[in-house]
Amino acid sequence: MKKETVNVRNATENPCHMCMPMGGILPFKGIERAMVILHGSQGCATYMRRHIAGHFNEPIDVASSSLNEKGTVYGGEGSLKQGLDNVRKLYNPGVIGILTTCLAETIGEDIDRIAANYVDERKPGNLTIVPVSTPGYGGTHFEGYWVTAKTIVGKLAQKTKKHRKINIIIPNISPADIREIKRILHLMDVEYTMFPDFSDTLDRPFEKPYLKIPRGGTKPADISRMPGAPATVEIGITVDDSVSPGKYLEEQYGVPLYRVPIPIGLENTDRFIEVIRKITGTPVPESLELERGRLLDCMIDSHKYNFQGRSVIFGEPELVYAVSATCLENGVFPVVVATGTRNRKLTALLKAKSAACPVEPHIINEADFTQIREMARQKKVNLAIGHSDGRYLTEKEGIPLVRMGFPIHDRVGGQRLLSVGYTGTAMFLDRITNTLLENKYKNYRSGMFEKFYHASNE
Amino acid sequence: MAINEKDIDAILETYPAKVKRNRKKHIIVRDSSLAHQEIEANTRTIPGVITNRGCAYAGCKGVVLGPIKDIVHITHGPVGCGYYSWLTRRNKAKTPPDGKNYLAYCVTTDMQEKDIVFGGEKKLAQVIDEVVEIFKPNAITVSATCPVGLIGDDIGAVAKAAQEKHGIPVMAFSCEGYRGVSQSAGHHIANNGVLEWMVGRGEMTEAPAKYSINILGEYNIGGDAWEIHRILEDIGYHIISVASGDGAYQDLKNAHVADLNLVQCHRSINYIAEMLEIKYGTPWLKVNFIGIEATCRSLRDMALYFGDKELIDKTEEVIARELARIEPLMEQYRKICQGKTAFCFVGGSRGHHYQKLFADLGIETVLAGYEFAHRDDYEGRQVIPHIKVDADSKNIPELHVEPDPKFFKLKISPEKAEELKKKIPLSYYAGMNIEMKDGHIIIDDMNHFETEEFIRILKPDIFASGIKDKYIPHKMGIPSKQLHNYDYSGPYAGFNGAVKFAQDVTAMFTTPAWNFITPPWKSKPLLEGQYQK
Repeated sequence: MKKETVNVRNATENPCHMCMPMGGILPFKGIERAMVILHGSQGCATYMRRHIAGHFNEPIDVASSSLNEKGTVYGGEGSLKQGLDNVRKLYNPGVIGILTTCLAETIGEDIDRIAANYVDERKPGNLTIVPVSTPGYGGTHFEGYWVTAKTIVGKLAQKTKKHRKINIIIPNISPADIREIKRILHLMDVEYTMFPDFSDTLDRPFEKPYLKIPRGGTKPADISRMPGAPATVEIGITVDDSVSPGKYLEEQYGVPLYRVPIPIGLENTDRFIEVIRKITGTPVPESLELERGRLLDCMIDSHKYNFQGRSVIFGEPELVYAVSATCLENGVFPVVVATGTRNRKLTALLKAKSAACPVEPHIINEADFTQIREMARQKKVNLAIGHSDGRYLTEKEGIPLVRMGFPIHDRVGGQRLLSVGYTGTAMFLDRITNTLLENKYKNYRSGMFEKFYHASNE
Repeated sequence: MAINEKDIDAILETYPAKVKRNRKKHIIVRDSSLAHQEIEANTRTIPGVITNRGCAYAGCKGVVLGPIKDIVHITHGPVGCGYYSWLTRRNKAKTPPDGKNYLAYCVTTDMQEKDIVFGGEKKLAQVIDEVVEIFKPNAITVSATCPVGLIGDDIGAVAKAAQEKHGIPVMAFSCEGYRGVSQSAGHHIANNGVLEWMVGRGEMTEAPAKYSINILGEYNIGGDAWEIHRILEDIGYHIISVASGDGAYQDLKNAHVADLNLVQCHRSINYIAEMLEIKYGTPWLKVNFIGIEATCRSLRDMALYFGDKELIDKTEEVIARELARIEPLMEQYRKICQGKTAFCFVGGSRGHHYQKLFADLGIETVLAGYEFAHRDDYEGRQVIPHIKVDADSKNIPELHVEPDPKFFKLKISPEKAEELKKKIPLSYYAGMNIEMKDGHIIIDDMNHFETEEFIRILKPDIFASGIKDKYIPHKMGIPSKQLHNYDYSGPYAGFNGAVKFAQDVTAMFTTPAWNFITPPWKSKPLLEGQYQK
C-alpha cells in the first residue's frame, strides 16, 4: 500500500482514542464479583465512569484512591490502602483490580509492592488483588484493555491438570456480541472458559433487589485453570505479543494459541468456526450452516446497493480490521481506515487483505478526527463506520455514520449492537446497506435531475 | 417516610469506624428548632468510597473555561483528560458572524512517555503555534493535567512567550487534578484567571446601555441561558457578558462596566463576583432562574436593585404575561406530580435550585445535597469567616485585588447598598439549609453506597443527579433525572424551561414500562381452583 499517513502535527485535534486506564476497567468488569480502584486523582475515575455509563447505560462502580497534593508529595500508599479497605468493606468483592493513572505513574508509585504489602498486613482471605500499570501516556485504551487482560491471566493462572475447556479470549466487543459467541459455542457443543466476559455485568437485566456487584463475569477459579486448556482462541490478531493473554499462556504453559479476527463478516466467522472445529473435532451443526446460507443470501441481495459505498472506518485496530474485511467482501470499499493507536500489525494485515481490491485503502495510524475528516473529504467517502465521535463527519461533511464499537454516546443501545457470527453479520450488513439506501433515497431525485436533465441541457 | 439519626447510624454502621465518624459530619437531619446546624463540606474525599466528585482540571477547563466559545482551550497532558471533557457538559453556544466558536473542538498535546521524561514545554509551544495558525482564535487557554505540575513544565512561561509572539492572550491555568479536594478547586483557579486576564482588557469605560448586567455562573446547559436572555431582554436589560455559557472572551473583557452582576451558581463563580465588586465597584445579586416562583422572585429583586418605576412595572407586566401563558400548561403536569417526593443531589448549586422547580410541581425534596460545595452553600455566607482553612484550600492561590485605577466605579452608594441588603440577597447567599423542611436530609458528597441505602429507606419517587449514579435508581425501579446534562433535553430555566422540565418529569412517572415489572406468572397464584362444598 502506497499510502500510510503518520501524524506530523503536534496538536491532537478531536482525538480518536482514549487513555490506558479507561481500557483497563473493562476486563475487570468481565470477572465475577470484581471491583476496580484507580490509583490517582479522583477525576480519572469520575470521567471514565461517566463515559462507560454513557455507553452501556449501567451503573459503573469504579473507586479511586482520591490522591491530593499531600499524597502527591509524600506518596499515595496510605490512600490506596485505605481505598482498598473501604472497597472491601462496602462491596465485599472477590477480586480488586488496581489500575494506575498518569499521577501515580509520574510520582513513581510501586503498586505491586503496595499490593503485596497490603495483603501481608491485612490478610484479606479470599480476596485477589491484581495491580496493573496503565499510565495514561503509555498508550491508548486499546493497549490498556489488553495489558490488563494479560496481567489478570498472569496473576490468576496456575499450573493445572489438563481439561476440556477451550480458552476464548474476548476483545472489546458489545455484550450482545459476547452472548452471540457463547450461543455459537453452545450450538457446537463446546466447553470453554471465556475471558473477559462482561456480557451480563455491563448489560444486566432489570431485576430486584438491586445488587451492588452485578451477576456474571468469568469466575476467577476458571481463569486460574486456563493453563490446563487444550487450546486458546484469542480473538485479537492485531494484539501485540507483549500484551497478549494467549501468547502468555502459550509461552508459560504450552497452551496452543490460535489467533482469529473478530468473527464479523462471513470469512472471519468461517475462520472462527473452522478453528473451533479443528480444535474440538466437532462437526458444524446444520443450524449454523443455515445461518451461513442466510447471510450469503443477504450478501447477494444487497450487493447491488453496497458496491456504491465508499467507507471511512475508524476506531480500535481489532474492530477496524474486522469491519474492513466485512466491507471488502461486500463491495463497500474501505477507502480510509484509521485508528487512534499506533498499530503496525493492522497496516500489514490490511495490505494483505485488500491486495485484490481495486481501491487502495488509505491507512492512518495515530489518527485524530481532523485528519480523518480531511482524508474522507479528499477520497469522496459516502459512509462512515465507527464509534459516536464520528458524528462530526455527519455534521460537517454530511457523511452518514453507522455507529459501531465503543463508545456510543449519542444513541442508545451500544451494548445491544449485534454484529458477530453469521446472523450478527447479516444484521450489521443491513445497517450498512440501509444507511446507504437512506442517503440514496434522500438524494435520488435531485441527483438524477442534476446528472441527466441538467447536464443534457447544458 | 421519616428518617432519624438512628436510621443514619444504621447506614453508616457498614463503614470502618474512622470512615463512619467522618461521614456522619457530612449528613444532617434538618431541624429548624436549632439555632444553627453545621455541616462538614469541601474536605478530602474518602478513598475507595465511590464519590461523584471530579478533579480541579474538570472544574477549571471542563466547567468554567470550556464554554467560552471564541477561545481555543488546549489541554496540556496525556489524551484522556482532554477527550473526557470534550463537550460532555452540553454547553450550547451560538456561532457569531465571525465564525469564532470552537466548542466542538478538543485540542490536546496528547503527551507521550518521552514528553513525561523530557518535558512537554516545547510540544506545548508548537501546539499553540499550530492552533493560532489553524483557528485564529481571540484567545487561548492552556489547562494543566496531573503530570504537568509534577514534571515541572512551566506553562506560565510558555504561555507568556506565545502571547508575545502571537499578539493574542494566551492564559495558563495550573489546574492539575490533584489540587484541592474536588472540582471546586478548579473553579477557583479559573475564576482567578478570568478576573486577572480577561475582565478589564476591553476599552469600554461606560455601560453601553441602561440596565447593563453580567450573568455569572450560568453555563447554558441545554439552552438555559437563552431562555434567561429572552426574559431579561424582554424586560429591558442589556446583557454585556456571560460567564461562561455561550460566553465569549470578546464580551468578558468589557464585563467591568456592568451596573450589576447576577450570580446563578454561587459555588463556581462567587470568587469572581466578589473580586469584581472590589476591583470595579459592581455589586452582585444572588439569583435563581430555576423554578417559576424563583424566577419571578429573582426578576423582582433585580428590578428593586435598579429601583426605577418603569423597570418595576415592565417586570410585573412580563411576569403576568408569562404566568398567564404557562400556568394552564403546568396545571396538567401538576396533577400527576403532586404529592411525590424527590432526591436532589447535584453539583454545587443545582441541589438547591431544583428544589424550587420540584416544589412548583408539588414535589417535595426529602433529601438534597451537593457534590463539591462549601459550608456557605449549605449554611449561608455568614459562616465564611468561621470556615477552617485547611492545607488543601491553602494550595489554591487567593488573589488579592484592589480597586482598579482606570475602571473602578462605584455602581451604587454604600448607603443604598445597605438598605437594599435588607430586602434582596445583594452580595449574599443564604444557602440551602434554611429552605429545607424539618426531618429532611441534607448530605454532602453522597457516594454510591449511601445513594443505595437512602433510596432503600426513603423510597423517593424520583432521583435527580448525574449519569454516574443515574442507573442505580433505574435498576431499583425509580425514575432518575440527570440534572448535569438534562438527559439531552432542556432548557429547564425560566418560564419555558419549567414547562419543559414538567413535561420530562411527568413522562418519567408515566413510563409504561414500570407497569410490567412483575411477569403475569409471578403476580397470579401458582394454582387456581375452586373450593367445593
